[in-house]
Amino acid sequence: MSPMKLCVPGERLCSTEDCIPGTGTYLRHGYIFASLAGYVLRKNEGEELPVISVVRETEAQLLPDVGAIVTCKVTSINPRFAKVHILYVGSTPLKDRFRGTIRREDVRATEKDKVETYKSFRPGDIVLAKVISLGDVQSNYLLTTAENELGVVVAHSEAGAQMVPVSWCEMQCPRTHSKEFRKVARVQPEYLQA
Amino acid sequence: MAGLELLSDQGYRLDGRKATELRKVQARMSVFAQADGSAYLEQGNTKALAVVYGPHEIRGSRSKSLHDRAIINCQYSMATFSTAERKRRPHGDRKSSEMSLHLKQTFEAAVLTELYPRSQIDIYVKILQADGGNYSACVNAATLALVDAGIPMRDYVCACSAGFVEDTPLADLCHAEESGGGTALALALLPRSGNIALLQMDARLHQDHLDTLMEAAMTACKEFSKVLDSVVRQHLEEVSDLTRD
Repeated sequence: MSPMKLCVPGERLCSTEDCIPGTGTYLRHGYIFASLAGYVLRKNEGEELPVISVVRETEAQLLPDVGAIVTCKVTSINPRFAKVHILYVGSTPLKDRFRGTIRREDVRATEKDKVETYKSFRPGDIVLAKVISLGDVQSNYLLTTAENELGVVVAHSEAGAQMVPVSWCEMQCPRTHSKEFRKVARVQPEYLQA
Repeated sequence: MAGLELLSDQGYRLDGRKATELRKVQARMSVFAQADGSAYLEQGNTKALAVVYGPHEIRGSRSKSLHDRAIINCQYSMATFSTAERKRRPHGDRKSSEMSLHLKQTFEAAVLTELYPRSQIDIYVKILQADGGNYSACVNAATLALVDAGIPMRDYVCACSAGFVEDTPLADLCHAEESGGGTALALALLPRSGNIALLQMDARLHQDHLDTLMEAAMTACKEFSKVLDSVVRQHLEEVSDLTRD
């Protein structure tokens, strides 16, 4: 990594014969230009040409992209889909909430026709999901929980206590010991800290 | 003119500037913590405040979202106390609607909107004190706010106004020169590539003088880009000093 060098939008960094454009740059007429104000980063990753990118001190607003793991909160459910608000992209919080939809067919990978939305999510649950589409005009981001690591991670029972997952489709209240149905995520260790 | 002489015989203007001299420019970035990007700019006695929100989800009617790029929403307004006579309507009148459209076209040419599909970028600009060159102050302030928000751009957008008096082009008009009856040209430029983002002109001008006038305006825009460049670099160093501690 070369020493830190400031750059501003529109500044020409190098030619395409010397570098590969990364984030924060754009390509025009065979040259790579900066599109952000920040520091130039030149990284050799085993290839012939280094990747040049521009990084900022303060992180800019992220947008959920296809394939990103997002953390969301269920806002409403009906027999066909569940509506959620996306709160985090990966581990980065969003300033604005983005609306998403989890369809009944995308809740789990097996037995899609037997899925019941009321036994998978409840309003107020915190859900891990993956973005599969940016959606169309009516609905925004389409999300899926059809993986073992995706699903409900935090849920509260009717008594108000946070429930403990006991199996892939059940959660139990530690106070009243009643069981409720959820599509439970097998939470990875790195998410437990969050 | 009998009453007002915009350019004296010695080549000085009303406020003592030379013909191609800019007014003093002062600017600050990150003046608001609530906005994603914000900037305050003074061009002489013209003061502009710009805030940027986004990219965020489309608000309002979702039918106007574009599937391949972000939409830019601009609003221009003037404070009621910004002019010599108090304005009754800060925004929404015909002039500010036209100015909002001009700002929108200017930044659609500069911002890399295709990186944020189906989202929206809001730019709000307010004139706190008006003394000529309102459009150029708004464009320069909004450019700094977009850089502060971290929105990728092709280049700075630098805007400047220019006039033509006694066969001499004047750069960066003040209010007296704008209302003195001469030509007023407003130009927004991406200075490194030389692309013109917006061009607007009032009043009459012979075609032979247009090249001279546009050349003067482009030169003034490049001077402005140097000022904006130093403001951004200074802000970057301040931010890195803060995060380093």
